[in-house]
Amino acid sequence: MVDLETIFPGLAGATYQVTSPATGLYNCIAWSTGDLSRWWWPDALKQRYWPPGVAREETVAAFQDAFAGLGFAVCQNESLEPEFEKIALFADDEGPQHAARQLLNGRWTSKLGELEDVEHDLHDLEGVEYGKVVVFLSRPIAVP
Amino acid sequence: MATATTKLTAVRTPETLEDKFERLANDWQTAVAHLSSSSKRDNHPAYKEIIALGPPVVPLLVRDLEINHRHWFAALATITGANPVAAEDAGKISKMIEAWIKWGTQQGYPW
Repeated sequence: MVDLETIFPGLAGATYQVTSPATGLYNCIAWSTGDLSRWWWPDALKQRYWPPGVAREETVAAFQDAFAGLGFAVCQNESLEPEFEKIALFADDEGPQHAARQLLNGRWTSKLGELEDVEHDLHDLEGVEYGKVVVFLSRPIAVP
Repeated sequence: MATATTKLTAVRTPETLEDKFERLANDWQTAVAHLSSSSKRDNHPAYKEIIALGPPVVPLLVRDLEINHRHWFAALATITGANPVAAEDAGKISKMIEAWIKWGTQQGYPW
């Protein structure tokens, strides 16, 4: 069994909870957009899903463009705005590594690679593995 | 009184291809399970070592794909040069697994 607190030391002593079983069917980028059917990544071999027309590059700009196709635009911060859903993009020196989605309670949900989904405080996943939050994106919550 | 000493000699049997694959596959999974970045996952040293095993490892990759659903897509594509996954199924892991198993069957790989 994987010890999440060893991988993400920020979770140790923090309030977080595992909210779904591990699965390799989708990853954090997919999860942040609500897509549970695909693994998103701009890999050179084109094995994973990447939105058509968006550069297959591991850059913050390319990821912003991918999210823009779903109506997300860069926003100022992580503050909870009830009429918007927000995504936080994590990156390190090698480029984007992770994305988390804000929940209605202001906390964040993340799919950890092929491991579980967890609910957590945003910055608890920052560190060696995912780098830091580099940009926030938001879009209006669709009214049913 | 004479003391009898027993000298134990460890006999190391050569690692089979299957053993080596299992060891590397487990190392890889432990190291990258929490990562989304396909480039980090596919460029991990253990993954590259598996690719370096070449065509003989293909049946083991297809079998592991079928049983454990580990993501050997880049390894299979790199080793074989094949790409049986339809463009519209990129990222759809179940469809990708299906496509590679079908490809392996068509190629006559035993696993």
